[in-house]
Amino acid sequence: MGIMICEKCKNNQATYHLTVIEKGEPSELQLCESCAKQAGVSVKFDLSIGDLLGSLIETAAKPPKGSQVRCPECGITYAEFKAKARLGCANDYEVFRSELLRLLEKIHGSTTHAGKSPMTADAQVKKENELNRLKRDLDGVVKSEDFEKAAQIRDRIRALETELER
Amino acid sequence: MKIDELLSQPGEWLKGTGPEGDVVISSRVRLARNLRRFPFMTVATPAVKSEIARFVKPKLSDPRLPRKLAYWSLEDLPALDRTLLVERHLISREHAQGEGDRGVALGADESISVMVNEEDHLRLQVIRSGLQLDEAYEEIDRMDSALEGSLNFAFAARFGYLTSCPTNAGTGLRISVMLHLPAAVLAKQMDKILQSLQRLNYTVRGLYGEGTSPLGDFYQISNQVTLGKAERDIIAEMKKVVPEILKFERFHRHKLLEDDPRRLEDRVWRAYAILKNARRIASEESTDLLSALRLGVNLNVITGIPAKLVNELFIYTQPAHLQRIERKTLDPDERDVVRAEFIRRRLEGL
Repeated sequence: MGIMICEKCKNNQATYHLTVIEKGEPSELQLCESCAKQAGVSVKFDLSIGDLLGSLIETAAKPPKGSQVRCPECGITYAEFKAKARLGCANDYEVFRSELLRLLEKIHGSTTHAGKSPMTADAQVKKENELNRLKRDLDGVVKSEDFEKAAQIRDRIRALETELER
Repeated sequence: MKIDELLSQPGEWLKGTGPEGDVVISSRVRLARNLRRFPFMTVATPAVKSEIARFVKPKLSDPRLPRKLAYWSLEDLPALDRTLLVERHLISREHAQGEGDRGVALGADESISVMVNEEDHLRLQVIRSGLQLDEAYEEIDRMDSALEGSLNFAFAARFGYLTSCPTNAGTGLRISVMLHLPAAVLAKQMDKILQSLQRLNYTVRGLYGEGTSPLGDFYQISNQVTLGKAERDIIAEMKKVVPEILKFERFHRHKLLEDDPRRLEDRVWRAYAILKNARRIASEESTDLLSALRLGVNLNVITGIPAKLVNELFIYTQPAHLQRIERKTLDPDERDVVRAEFIRRRLEGL
């Protein structure tokens, strides 16, 4: 599973993984060789590639920020992930979080799980939900100047954050 | 269970007689799961792979699971038997040809299987005959939950189940419906279907999944999106899409019958004549002819041939199946002769 198909011709396998800067927002683009060539990718730095989404293109050769970071658990970098299209371990999802968020948005149109959770994860999910709720509560309580209540909520938030970090 | 038993009794889903069986061959669901405490397959050393296999084997063989599974190590199986499992859609081609300690746990009627050390540590799969997506999902969900009792799966609240390839993250759920669309192909309407499906984020593949070309008018439709939607919603969407394709295919089948019945009859009966008489036949040709015969049977253009027999011929005339039946290695030329003979024998006296 998981062969990326060229997003332009929607036919060939995508072998070029480009970072496209559009209105200052970087996004991922997967192209096959011929579409990448058509888009002028091999032509050094062609800034007149107006036909491709009217955007500027950086070749994958120029690594995006943070791609030198190695996962301390499995040892791969984001560039190595991109070359194989396979991650090295579960921890990569945290180490390459920002890059993966962009990629997941591109693939799935979403970055947040909405399905089943394992029983062991249930407790954690509940804690995270409680944490988010408490943080919202805290804002309200602080505004209404109920400082005793605010201190209580802060303690609970700290306790939950420590538990979740484990 | 021995491999030979796979030959003697075709799996339940292979009969191709489930709901909407004239068009829908099978409904398949799969879940990708990884174990929290092991690295993913790309960085797993041979020693780690063995450790994973040793760790999961007893859990998969646990008699308390909702379905009893039998574990096979693929390294212990001859290449031919591994190919047989591919032809039965029980393991992937990549898994058959892979390296290192890896295996598959199979349920007795072949409707459920768990690949170990494929692209992810575990790949659960349930296949049902015809259109039975809810039933297939219920079964795989029960097995997944039972396994969760003894295995700690890699999961994050934000990303869901963590998979080796981000294309599977979230639910890890891929649902595939195998369709027989000969009329849409004959009417040159497939491009239209393919384009609409792509727009809806579905992928369309051939009989054996990724990278295979459509053969014998069989198309496999799968969801692409696995993250951001609940399992039930992914299934509900597929359940809306498939009936539209069924309507389309059936409309064109009846159009073929109405517009030019002689042409359709000729096509079906010629296919039957060749299958019944050929002395050697390559698998591409037999697949095409069986596809035409299947259409004829479903439209009653030809009678007296059970749909189940036609479906079985697709399976048994594949290279590894023929060689297992003959109990010897055959080169492609020899296979073509054996294939023709096998088909002739099965169609005899009908």
